[in-house]
Amino acid sequence: MAIGVVDIEALITSLPGVECARSEEGLAVALPSGAEQIAAVMHAVAEHEFAIEIAGAGTKRGWSNPVLADVVLKTSRLKGVREHRWQDLTATVGAGTPWAMMQRELAKHGQFVALDPLWPEQATVGGVVATNDSGALRLKYGSLRDLIIGMTIVLADGTIAKSGGKVVKNVAGYDLHKLMTGAFGTLGVIAEVTFRLHPLPAQTRVWGVTSHDPEVLGFLMMKILDSQMSVQAVQMRGSKQGCALDVELASQPDVIAQQAERLNVLARGFGGSCEIQQETARWQFGVREHLFNYDVVVKATMLTHSIPMLVREAIAMGGSVAAQATGIMLAGFSEAAAANAIVDLHELVGRAGGSIMILKANPQQAASLVLPQRKRDDKVPELMRAVKQQFDAKRMLNPGRLVGGV
Amino acid sequence: MLDKVILAELRAAVDGAYGAKTPARLSGVITTESQLKTYECDGLTNFRVMPAAVVLPQSAKQVQAVVQICAKHKIPFVARGSGTGLSGGALPAESGVVISFARMNRILQVDIPNQRVVVEPGVINQHVTDAVAAHGYFYAPDPSSQSVCTIGGNVAENAGGAHCLKYGFTTTHVLGMDVVLPTGEMVTLGSAAPDAPGYDLTGVFVGSEGTLGVATKLVLRIVKRPETVQVLLAAFDSISAAGQTVSDVIAAGMLPAAMEIMDRLSAQASEAAVHPNYPVCEALLLIELDGAAAEVASQMAEARALCEKNGAWEIRQAQTAEERALIWKGRKAAFAAMGRISPNYIVQDGVIPRTALPEVLEKIARMAGEVKLRVANVFHAGDGNLHPMVLYDQAIPGQEEIALDLSYRILYLCVDHGGSITGEHGVGREKQQAMGYMFSEPDLETMQRVRRAFDPQNIANPDKVFPRTKLCGEKTGPYTPHPLEQAGVAEYF
Repeated sequence: MAIGVVDIEALITSLPGVECARSEEGLAVALPSGAEQIAAVMHAVAEHEFAIEIAGAGTKRGWSNPVLADVVLKTSRLKGVREHRWQDLTATVGAGTPWAMMQRELAKHGQFVALDPLWPEQATVGGVVATNDSGALRLKYGSLRDLIIGMTIVLADGTIAKSGGKVVKNVAGYDLHKLMTGAFGTLGVIAEVTFRLHPLPAQTRVWGVTSHDPEVLGFLMMKILDSQMSVQAVQMRGSKQGCALDVELASQPDVIAQQAERLNVLARGFGGSCEIQQETARWQFGVREHLFNYDVVVKATMLTHSIPMLVREAIAMGGSVAAQATGIMLAGFSEAAAANAIVDLHELVGRAGGSIMILKANPQQAASLVLPQRKRDDKVPELMRAVKQQFDAKRMLNPGRLVGGV
Repeated sequence: MLDKVILAELRAAVDGAYGAKTPARLSGVITTESQLKTYECDGLTNFRVMPAAVVLPQSAKQVQAVVQICAKHKIPFVARGSGTGLSGGALPAESGVVISFARMNRILQVDIPNQRVVVEPGVINQHVTDAVAAHGYFYAPDPSSQSVCTIGGNVAENAGGAHCLKYGFTTTHVLGMDVVLPTGEMVTLGSAAPDAPGYDLTGVFVGSEGTLGVATKLVLRIVKRPETVQVLLAAFDSISAAGQTVSDVIAAGMLPAAMEIMDRLSAQASEAAVHPNYPVCEALLLIELDGAAAEVASQMAEARALCEKNGAWEIRQAQTAEERALIWKGRKAAFAAMGRISPNYIVQDGVIPRTALPEVLEKIARMAGEVKLRVANVFHAGDGNLHPMVLYDQAIPGQEEIALDLSYRILYLCVDHGGSITGEHGVGREKQQAMGYMFSEPDLETMQRVRRAFDPQNIANPDKVFPRTKLCGEKTGPYTPHPLEQAGVAEYF
């Protein structure tokens, strides 16, 4: 494909170690095989100031703002676990590695990156990091900010930079990898990520309780969070059919049995119907993915104690929800319910100290779902633009993808 | 010296309506030489620079006013908590202003249901735990100076401690903050809820050593106290055997709250100093496990078995809180105790992958032997954070230079093995030059982009963290006791 007088496909194909393909939208797709090849792509397109969309598996392309790109850079050839120092509990992984593929490799030594993102079979490490996705395990293990210890990035001007290192404890220099996490690819291309690992728990079991009243479940949830039990994930989910609280225990079998009984006693006090699952499968925590069967999906964040109220309100607005105890809720709505629901939810979440991001909406509808911009009385947006300016002055990388059009 | 106009502006900023009429003893601006001396260094006492003025603001607005004055006149400023840092991070800038947070030490909010606490930067680390202990919570980052160091300083340095193996560093526990940027603008980074929209500026601010601005309010995460804590002490005939046990514990799927190793020299010094009744051996391993009682009991049995497998000839498990405290007391006294066996020493803070432990320690011993110096080793074995102490005698001409050179070569050795020049003390002024060994030019230049976005005039704690041209005759690093340590208030760890 030619843009102006430049044959962009020929340009990409001429670069050693870079393959070229065509996207569904007809854009040229560069497929570099390493950090140096990404840098070569950057140098080649920088001259023409093309806008580049950075893509992993594309599972979260609908998140945040769309990008009007001239060329796509896909990380799929940056695949594989480069190094697994299992005795050091660290691993370095190519950004194009599917999340589940990485986890299977690490599990050979009984370890894992303690994060359960959406669509792990398809989603790539780079995509998960760039969108700062997380799941229910965040309650115990923290977010990617706490799990990434190093990164190799390529900037828009072709600079290859390393941040952090391969040791868990390291305070030398700025943590650029934290800046890249959740930056939606607007500051640089993530080529490689080094994680700190955790041992896989000896055993996990999901204990659940159901009720029609999210406030009752909320009270129980707060009791559990305030306990000393070996809990690694807590989630409240619900729809018009009812609500459930899912609690994942991680410990040795006898400890789990003992703690499940304590949970039963606690739940019976509230008249909830409870049971412990005998299988280790944690399907309850996979319902987040099912929410994407709805026309519109939003991510709302809040303080933990606001979860029951927001679950109740979202259901009343016609939504189905899954809210992690960390204060991150996904809510799915039908097209008809979405327009009003999102504005109302935005208002409620704002009062609860949180924010909203639209994760899925069809393109026609997206325009009508534009969230009213909350006025900030500080200079954070300006600071973010200053950071973007320093890293990508020509606005080549995923331009406008981040909140506020950064 | 600052001119009178600027001093008057600073007084108006922190002394309010009274301005210049404020009696000197109550003023928030210090300019007399005898008082300024208190601020001329931090815990790294061999670097000393007299600031032009010290200001003691009492509110975020006052901090902002001070920074605005500095920005207007391009005056460098350095924020300071208790001054316990070990890398010269709070060393004043020449002709600059020190912003002390001694008067901003209020705990603003304790929110148990949402497991968070909101504090001003001058709050002492231990006081956060004290404020929530009755509810069964604690603030996890525990640098050894926690009874005197401030949260603001902890945030600047991304402070760690013995328990960060399991609980993470300061960065894991900071949810959001108010910051005065070096331009004088006030911003809120992060939010009450997770995942504030946009870049994770909180993440990059924590550990930036005061070079990106000054925090005025911090939202901290607190953690529920575990049901039980157990400590085990094992004696080995070699560091390798103790190191292998650490690896085996990890391989067995355990994540202890702490794992510490002391070599013969450091254990011997601790014994002389605080009498923890340690067995005399080549390597002492301390393992702390916490969590649900039944789980800890079974893991402790497994840890004991692994110690035995690797040849531990004495294993002690603390039976009471007092016994546990005694075991830790010996470990925590290790640095200060060096004075018992050497007139001077330099402490370093390198990190290596755990698996490189035997090889690196052997090389350190060889390097020390070559220059006829002794090196005592105490380390957070769980996360590979070494604290080698190079022992020397300043009275012997030339020995300090040899010791300094050895201490830097040890850091470079850590980098050569895939590690870092600092695990928890920070780069500050002390390790600026070593940054150039660990990171390439493009890495450092990329970090500078962040700095330029925050601080276009380069006035926030300038000449720290990043390498500079070394000046003739400049010297770095030997340990000199901090006044707090001499007073018995704080200990190196």
